[in-house]
Amino acid sequence: MPYTEATLQLLSVDGVLVESDRTEQHRALVDALSEQQLRDFYREMVVTRRFDIESGNLQRQGQLALWVPSLGQEGAQVGSAFATREQDTIFPSYREHAIARIRGVDPVAILALLRGHTHGGWNPNDSRFRLYTIVLSSQALHAVGYAMGTAMEGKSGTGDVATDEATIVYFGDGASSEGDANEALVFAQSYQSPIVFFLQNNQYAISVPVVRQSRSPLYQRGEGFGIESYQIDGNDVLISYAVTKLALDDARSGKGPRFIEAQTYRLGAHTTSDDPTKYRDSAEEEMWKTRDPIARFDKFLRAKGAQDAFFADVKQEGEDLAADVRRRLLEHTPPTIDAMFDHVYTDEHPLMIAQKAWLVDYEASFGGDR
Amino acid sequence: MTENLSLAKAINRGLQRAMQDNDRVLLMGEDIGTLGGVFRVTEGLKNEFGENRVLDTPLAESGIVGTAIGLAMRGFRPVCEIQFDGFVYPAFDQIVSQLAKLTSRHQGDQSFPIVIRIPYGGHIGAIEHHQESPESYFTHTSGLRVVSPATPNDGYHMIQQAIQSNDPVIFFEPKARYWPKSDVDTDGTSAPLHQSRVVRTGTDVTVVGHGAMVAMLLDAAEVAAGEGISLEVVDLRSLSPIDYDPILLSVEKTGRLVVAQEAPGGTSLGSEIAATVAERAFYYLEAPVMRVSGFDVPFPPAHLESLFLPDVDRILDAVDRARGY
Amino acid sequence: MAVVDFPLPDVGEGLTEAEIVQWRVKIGDVVAINDILVEIETAKSLVELPSPFAGTIVALLAGEGDTVPVGKSIIQVDAEGAIPAPLHPAPEPAVAKAPAKPSKTAPAKGASSKKPAAAPEPVLVGYGSGGHVTSRRGSRTSPDATPAEPAASPSPPPVVYPAAARSAVAVLAKPPVRKLAKELGVDIQSVLATGSHGEVTRDDVVRQSQVKTVFRNVATPEWPQEREEYIPVKGVRKAIAAAMVKSKFEAPHVSVFVDVDATRTMDFVKRLKASPDFQGIRVSPLLVMARAVVWAVQRNPTVNSSWTDKDIIVHHYVNLGIAAATPRGLIVPNVKEAHTLNMKQLALGLENLTVTARDGKTTVDDMSNGTITITNLGSFGVDTGTPIINPGEVSIVVLGAIKQKPWVVDGQIEARFVTTIGASFDHRVVDGDVASRFLADIASIIEEPAMLLD
Repeated sequence: MPYTEATLQLLSVDGVLVESDRTEQHRALVDALSEQQLRDFYREMVVTRRFDIESGNLQRQGQLALWVPSLGQEGAQVGSAFATREQDTIFPSYREHAIARIRGVDPVAILALLRGHTHGGWNPNDSRFRLYTIVLSSQALHAVGYAMGTAMEGKSGTGDVATDEATIVYFGDGASSEGDANEALVFAQSYQSPIVFFLQNNQYAISVPVVRQSRSPLYQRGEGFGIESYQIDGNDVLISYAVTKLALDDARSGKGPRFIEAQTYRLGAHTTSDDPTKYRDSAEEEMWKTRDPIARFDKFLRAKGAQDAFFADVKQEGEDLAADVRRRLLEHTPPTIDAMFDHVYTDEHPLMIAQKAWLVDYEASFGGDR
Repeated sequence: MTENLSLAKAINRGLQRAMQDNDRVLLMGEDIGTLGGVFRVTEGLKNEFGENRVLDTPLAESGIVGTAIGLAMRGFRPVCEIQFDGFVYPAFDQIVSQLAKLTSRHQGDQSFPIVIRIPYGGHIGAIEHHQESPESYFTHTSGLRVVSPATPNDGYHMIQQAIQSNDPVIFFEPKARYWPKSDVDTDGTSAPLHQSRVVRTGTDVTVVGHGAMVAMLLDAAEVAAGEGISLEVVDLRSLSPIDYDPILLSVEKTGRLVVAQEAPGGTSLGSEIAATVAERAFYYLEAPVMRVSGFDVPFPPAHLESLFLPDVDRILDAVDRARGY
Repeated sequence: MAVVDFPLPDVGEGLTEAEIVQWRVKIGDVVAINDILVEIETAKSLVELPSPFAGTIVALLAGEGDTVPVGKSIIQVDAEGAIPAPLHPAPEPAVAKAPAKPSKTAPAKGASSKKPAAAPEPVLVGYGSGGHVTSRRGSRTSPDATPAEPAASPSPPPVVYPAAARSAVAVLAKPPVRKLAKELGVDIQSVLATGSHGEVTRDDVVRQSQVKTVFRNVATPEWPQEREEYIPVKGVRKAIAAAMVKSKFEAPHVSVFVDVDATRTMDFVKRLKASPDFQGIRVSPLLVMARAVVWAVQRNPTVNSSWTDKDIIVHHYVNLGIAAATPRGLIVPNVKEAHTLNMKQLALGLENLTVTARDGKTTVDDMSNGTITITNLGSFGVDTGTPIINPGEVSIVVLGAIKQKPWVVDGQIEARFVTTIGASFDHRVVDGDVASRFLADIASIIEEPAMLLD
């Protein structure tokens, strides 16, 4: 069991709200959510999961090099995403598809990345959701630098949570071992940057179980650097929302960085190239399925009065999205030769001009057009 | 106005000017604030601009470059200092996997106008890791620009141009040349950042180098002149991209080229120059391009550095061999 | 509805094949998009493949237990709805048809005999980028026009004309040519460059070295031990001796000479060499000389005749003899009907004659019925001579080395290519005025080859 005495939870696996002194503040935040907002939590989790499955199928059909499933982690991602304010900036790793959608990134852009059309694919300035970073934990340093800049500009710490900006960076249990993750914690604490570190502990770094990364609970890492840290049941979308919201508001108010370890589970493989049957047993997977974020929230909403029609509607939305994404992916315009040369530098560069011209001539010399 | 300044002081002035001209310019590095940098290149700047613009960072090179990237995303123009050449390697991943690739990854949506200043090179009798010449790791990496001033005047102007560039620039400062003084025209304009320059004309052999090597090449040219051999000396100034035109024009005239560098010769900047000139000036060459380099060994204990590093005799030896064809 | 294939994808970043473990559908089944079709085993794991199409299964193209390469179709479906357009297999190795004859002259687009293979398929992720390439992509339009990879972009140096300010311009030459020049003791600065980039070629150096002296290459042998050596007079030597005596003492020989500025001829030779028409054909000043001789014969027919006691037979055709030193001895094969040949045909004729002679295959017929002869001492670096007329003819033209000498051009002294043209005549047939006019005519062509356009 990865949970400790410190683990915060609002919603049990049975979909029932739990009472605790430690979660009074969090409960208050959740109670303030409207029915619509709660249904949106559910909707986003379900639709993202349907998108995830469709993307896996597209990979098996030869349309993507790779798919990186977020299956099982919807609770941590959707809850924390809804906790961000519009003015906040998010630094993902490469598995935060639910958050991308919630912040307005077209899911087809994520697929185009995995189809070999781009190395990014969306403008981070539009959504404040930065590009996926594949080198683990590199983005943690970028996020801290961004937060440092925010503070320098006076855009955080004024006390007005409606406008003060915060940054949140996502990374995993494996990434937490990397030097950059730890250097990021050093810098964040040193400069008291307005940043929240959100560690999704999905229990595995490909095949390596988390105990190899750390023999102590990972939230204690943050504490070790002097940062106020929390461990939550990451499959509880409500505690994810509440803890992240409080942490972000602390950070944006100048109270310093915060660290959240969300206990969750990677129900799928690391990617479609991976085979989990080689390193974990089905009993463990079955156990974690009982802790599934969607299942328990389904129960929670039904208990609150949501009807079959609602659930059917959400399911249909998922199907519609899957079909839409499939169609648009297959039509997605591949990159041209320009994409290789035109933006390597911002300023004009003689070698880019010369090499692109050469390649254009070379291709044209075969009589065909490219 | 013309002032007689050392390279360290000239860069200091250039940084000061850049920070006065644009309040988004930040300095960050270890010991650069209160101490003014271990080579005093940032002396006085924290007093003038405050600790929000001159940051004494934690001791973490990867962290310095990584947070600079985040600051650039936020619209700042960070100038990082890596304290010594041999300590750039912890930041290598952030430079090569991130900084060099981010502009392309963003396909025009974001620029990364970051300068990384690195004191480099030998001739100061220092301990391990303090006399490296890692230029070619960076000249080999697309997405970066790499330059190295050889004179205080170039130091003053080129640091400002590097800061004005909208691309990542690795700014190699030849530490052996930090202290000698010469004239700096602080009001004048300068050659473009990525231009090489003939610093001494000659007719018999073209010799090319950068950083501290330029002064040595000029010494070699003096000695050669006493023997009746006329060397044309070219200061590369920009290591990536390389401005080949002055070199090619020179080789068309002399037919012989020697490239000199402190770095180990294997798979080096000199190798690239030799191959390119051989291809582009093939019919003009009367001898193969000669390279004078450090040996392909780790930089030795300082006692042996004079054996390792090219000197005037090694340069003239290459000149003689070129002339022997 | 259309019958479409589903090729086996690369499901694991670089896999090349998979084994069919179990079909989950059979022929006739109706499937929706994403219904599982088959379970496969790869090098990494067991994988289920969902259907990309909705429709009816038409054929299973591999059996359980078969190993299938990535890109090969495994199933056919009569599909409805949109078919994923980019779904296609990895590039098949191009079948090599009869290759287009490589031609240096730029062919019109599409002129090759095989359809050019498509540009390399963009990598469709999911199918890897594998596949052997077994042939080139197809014919290129003017491949010479594509410069080298632009890490070193080309700027061909300007053509250097050495007769002009030679000392001010660097000599262009490839390293092996410079080495050869040194070995042969040739000052490369003095060599006329005929290379297409203005560079001195190997041939240029060799020619120059022969002009200077070919004998520098030959080592001086030791004095023989015996005081006398006896070479029997027989065979070819006997025949040559007899012919020389007969010719010299029957025909009263007279020789005339003229020095001429051959610079324009040298330039003309260079242009011919660069011309596509003369690709692969040996072009030298001798060719221009030969053409000049034929032209001069047309203007001075009596030099091209034979003496008999009864008649002087003036030939209105030219079988142009070229004196050739061969291992067997001196022979004079001739190019038949040289007056009917254009420059290119004449060049081919001369080349053929030279090669045949060198190979020792010259026939009696080749050496018969010559009407006028050229002997070339130029390759020995000699300026001129007093040749002996080939028996049966009345004229022989001698060519010498073409050397750079001071010459007056428009009142100024310049270095020009100068050569001496000489000829010996049978004074029974050819008087001094005809001889001089004939020689002057040859010289005028050498001085200005454009006169041939007349």
